[in-house]
Amino acid sequence: MTFSLSEIEATARKAARGAGYSWGMAEEAGRAARWLCAAGLDGCALLAAALAAADGTDPAELAPRALDDWHWRGGAGRLCPLMAGAALSDAAALWQQTGVTMERVIVPPLLLPFAALAARALGANVTVRWAGVTAVTEGRALAVSGADDLPTGPADVSVAIGGAMAAPLPRHTRASPRPQDWEALTALAARTYAPATEESRLKGAGAGLTDND
Amino acid sequence: MSQTDPAPVPLRPPEQVMRLARLGSLHQCRLSFMRVLTRRMAREGWRFARPVFDFDDRGVGHAVYTAQTPERTYSLVAFGHDLPPEMRSDRVIATAWDATFTLFDGVPGPAEIDRLARNVPLQEAGRVDERSLSLSRANRSARLWEEVVAALAEGRQPDADRIAEVGYLMRTTAVYGSGKFGAADYDTIADRPEMRTPFQAEMLSVWLTRVFQRDLVNHMARARGGDRAVALAPGIARRLGIGNSTGLGLGPFIVNHPLLFNNWIAAREEAIARVRAVDRATAAEIALFRQLLARSGVLVAQWRSQHPIQRAKLADLRADLAALNARLEADDLTGPRPWDRLIDWSQTALSLEGQELLASLILEPYGPLVDDLADRMGDTDPDAARIDGAMPVSRARALIEDNYGWALALDWDAPENCARAWYVSAEKLEPRVGERFEEPIAAHELPLAPGRDAAAAHAALAGWPGDAPLAAFLLRHPEHRFAIRRAQIAARAPYAEIRDNTIAADMLPIDLLRAKLAFFGATQFDPRSDRWVRICMYGGAPYPEELRPETADLWVYPEVAP
Repeated sequence: MTFSLSEIEATARKAARGAGYSWGMAEEAGRAARWLCAAGLDGCALLAAALAAADGTDPAELAPRALDDWHWRGGAGRLCPLMAGAALSDAAALWQQTGVTMERVIVPPLLLPFAALAARALGANVTVRWAGVTAVTEGRALAVSGADDLPTGPADVSVAIGGAMAAPLPRHTRASPRPQDWEALTALAARTYAPATEESRLKGAGAGLTDND
Repeated sequence: MSQTDPAPVPLRPPEQVMRLARLGSLHQCRLSFMRVLTRRMAREGWRFARPVFDFDDRGVGHAVYTAQTPERTYSLVAFGHDLPPEMRSDRVIATAWDATFTLFDGVPGPAEIDRLARNVPLQEAGRVDERSLSLSRANRSARLWEEVVAALAEGRQPDADRIAEVGYLMRTTAVYGSGKFGAADYDTIADRPEMRTPFQAEMLSVWLTRVFQRDLVNHMARARGGDRAVALAPGIARRLGIGNSTGLGLGPFIVNHPLLFNNWIAAREEAIARVRAVDRATAAEIALFRQLLARSGVLVAQWRSQHPIQRAKLADLRADLAALNARLEADDLTGPRPWDRLIDWSQTALSLEGQELLASLILEPYGPLVDDLADRMGDTDPDAARIDGAMPVSRARALIEDNYGWALALDWDAPENCARAWYVSAEKLEPRVGERFEEPIAAHELPLAPGRDAAAAHAALAGWPGDAPLAAFLLRHPEHRFAIRRAQIAARAPYAEIRDNTIAADMLPIDLLRAKLAFFGATQFDPRSDRWVRICMYGGAPYPEELRPETADLWVYPEVAP
């Protein structure tokens, strides 16, 4: 069974919210998972891994402590790729001369959608390097060299303008997440739902008059 | 063609347009999605067929209706079921329906029909795939269905007044599209010209569902009456629309899609401004306007609601029409800028219902001047959601002051200003709205109060140096990311934000529903509570065999005797 990319985005957004991220960050997570799936990577597995690794830690502890010298470190010694990624996209115009280095990013491939946002905003290719892998994006497509499978474990990362798109991965319009990842995301998403009460059943959805006449 | 004055008329400001009370008074217009579709189908000469119609005497079976464009074919696959009356409910919590549908991209073969037959009747509990562009269901109107079947079976036509009173034989509820339950993402069809205007797949599925409604009632009458039975007369059939019962699910949509909603409103506002700028109206334009005003009067006269809020608004609207007709006794519209003067007059002389009906109506004689705007109503900016973090804090503060001034003036701690909270229930995974201080829902609140959130972000920004980049602020304050993104969208899209409190104690969710449904092209809004509304779609519209350029446009206005 395949999923539409909007199903991926909606579930990823709610999962990030359920994991404790703000709604604005959750929107980033949803779009990031969708972008990864469209680029042919397993966005659900990557997001599920990042949310699992961060679960129980205040997202603020996993954010870059400051933008300043474009060498980012998290308060807890690790960086959440959603927090660092959002900052990477937000600040694209500010680091384009210098690039950015990051210490110990949890699930580095999750930075790629944010590098793509930066690439589109800057109108230039962006290169992301970690654990011997070089990934280049011009905003939509992604080209990877240096490994057959992207390393997903925690790693130091460097990001810079430039790089050539050698052989872009084929684009996808559907996603086939592994059941365990989909279940992990839907379980986190379920935290955002309010338990049904008789009152909400009667009032919340708007009944009042008969609706079968 | 009339002359357009070189001096443009400014767009109505968002402070005027984007109020809930006005959005809750919108009417259909030339740019409504149903009318954009029927015009296109006629213009391009789409061809229609019913290759499969296989139902038993109880209405159980399936049908396939095809719509062939110049380039491709879409098929409505309809499944009929035998639903016990006690299971018939339009609420989203229902689990069974009289009929279920999917709009299929192409023509389904037997294996695909089998797959759809196992899934479409289950609706939310089933799965469709990328060949499906919509997923929907409908129930018979218990009020009218049996009467019509009985009459036709006995060889007589049903009572036309009863048809007018209800307006439809079947009522749809949710019409899901764009990626829901496995269906194709809108992105995958967005480059097709016939899908450029929003919701065209859904509107096509509903138009074909109305054909199915007529065909099934004829089939059931024949099954009961045999040779005595007659088919529904074309004139009566044409008056029938297809009903829809809509709950809260639609409300959050227009808040969650600020750029898309901006594009709808901006297109209509631009159309209104273009027509107001017409310097002289031709005799033919004036005559068409007067004719459609009279026909609008019939539509309004037929409009029934039991809800006290809508009853009061209808009384106002009827008085508005009387005032408008009196005004047109005195003004023959031959002077300069007739439409601009009429709109100016309406702003103090008419209620919001009347003002918005008039604003829609003046567009009617000017298809060549405004119809191109329908192509601009989609959301075509994939980068709109990216936050520009290089923007200085001082600029973000100014954006919020410009676009959320009303919200900065409000005391958000006052209980009446934050009495409501929107949430998703675990039960049906549908949006609901509840009482923040009476129900345990605040922890699950959806971000559907942009005004409150903008005010909170503005307060947090106050402590930051004006020249600091937003990226630094957002690193420390991810909780304001949602509001900052919207403020940047609103800076480019003036009609993106509703300028009212969507969590106020006296907020009416039906205002949000009405705004969206008016853009679909719905009529006969009949709120059943403050958060649930029934409407009529395609009432008066041509059936496939009647569709021609001359029938494809003004069908929404009932014919009147000359």
